[in-house]
Amino acid sequence: MAALLTATAAAAGYEAVPVTAESTTEEHGWIRKAQTADSAAFGSLYRMHVDRVYGLCLRMTGNVAEAEDCTQDAFIQAWSKLNNFRGESAFSTWLHRVAVNTVLGRMRKSRREQDRIRAVSDVLPAPETIGDSGGLRDLEQAIDELPSGARHVFVLHAVYGYSHDETSDMLGIAAGTSKAQLHRARRLLAQQLKTECA
Amino acid sequence: MNETDNNNFDDELMAAAAELATEVTPDRDLWPGIEQALPHPGRPARTVWNSTWAQAAAVLLLVGGSSGVTYLAITEDLSPLPPVAGGPTLVFEPVSGSFGSMYNLGPDYQDARRSLVATVDEELGRLTAEERNEVQKNIDVIRAAIEEINKALAAEPDNALLQKLLLSTYRDELGLMMRVDKITSAAMRRGDI
Repeated sequence: MAALLTATAAAAGYEAVPVTAESTTEEHGWIRKAQTADSAAFGSLYRMHVDRVYGLCLRMTGNVAEAEDCTQDAFIQAWSKLNNFRGESAFSTWLHRVAVNTVLGRMRKSRREQDRIRAVSDVLPAPETIGDSGGLRDLEQAIDELPSGARHVFVLHAVYGYSHDETSDMLGIAAGTSKAQLHRARRLLAQQLKTECA
Repeated sequence: MNETDNNNFDDELMAAAAELATEVTPDRDLWPGIEQALPHPGRPARTVWNSTWAQAAAVLLLVGGSSGVTYLAITEDLSPLPPVAGGPTLVFEPVSGSFGSMYNLGPDYQDARRSLVATVDEELGRLTAEERNEVQKNIDVIRAAIEEINKALAAEPDNALLQKLLLSTYRDELGLMMRVDKITSAAMRRGDI
């Protein structure tokens, strides 16, 4: 999996920032400085996390322009709420939560979800084909076409690895609803991918 | 397809989902827009550019600019023969030619604009002080509009409405320069008679 992700990252033209003990210590320093309104330190945090936040926003919105706006809003929100971060969870998890809230808030405000200027599959890195279930690109596209509720749960749980409790907490839904949406997502994905294979 | 097949497919699906890239690099640098919007202590908080207000301001400026241009055009034939030179020189500053993250003003436009700017710079000396002031006011209005729209576009580079508005404002600027050229050409013809 690591090899695949590294290859995918290289294909996408960016270098992954490995999370090491050293970078975590560095991150803590930036967080402390940013909490004293040091925007340069916050810029370092931005550079460290932007790809992951943008990836999440892109998968949740399925819209490049909207994902860019969400990413910017998420970091602005994070800046204003930074003093609330007590280190009880990883900074990346806290930031993800802020990003998810931003995406949901924006989606509630506007109904631009259908206004997809560019399909996600056009900008995501070209993945390698695995197994006999079709390529990852097919899966990318199939996820993109899921209804928003099912897509959000699937992205957070299956792609980003959050538990149902974490996913439901982030999305503001019951854990049972999260499980139901995941089941729905899997059913819809199976239908779509099997149809494509056939 | 039996239950075992379904379970296998589900397992494969979840395994494949876990292999998907979780990090994607944005096509453009989002940091400048974020940094601009960060509220700092002692500095009033700014949200990401409110394009509605920016657009409203730009439209107001453009309406004012258009009125000025119209005034200039109406009074064209009534202008007295212009004295040559005198007064400060008006200079058309180069403007940004970017249109969000996806478009740029083409080289043909830039060439045409450069050529027109050079001509207009020469012709402005032939206008009366009143006409020059009027031209200056219009230039200021249009430049302010361009600046406002560019600021809004810095925050929302792919806002199609802002892109159209900026294009329209550049056209107005070209139109103003062409009118100045036309006025001075007409004055020269009258002076030549």
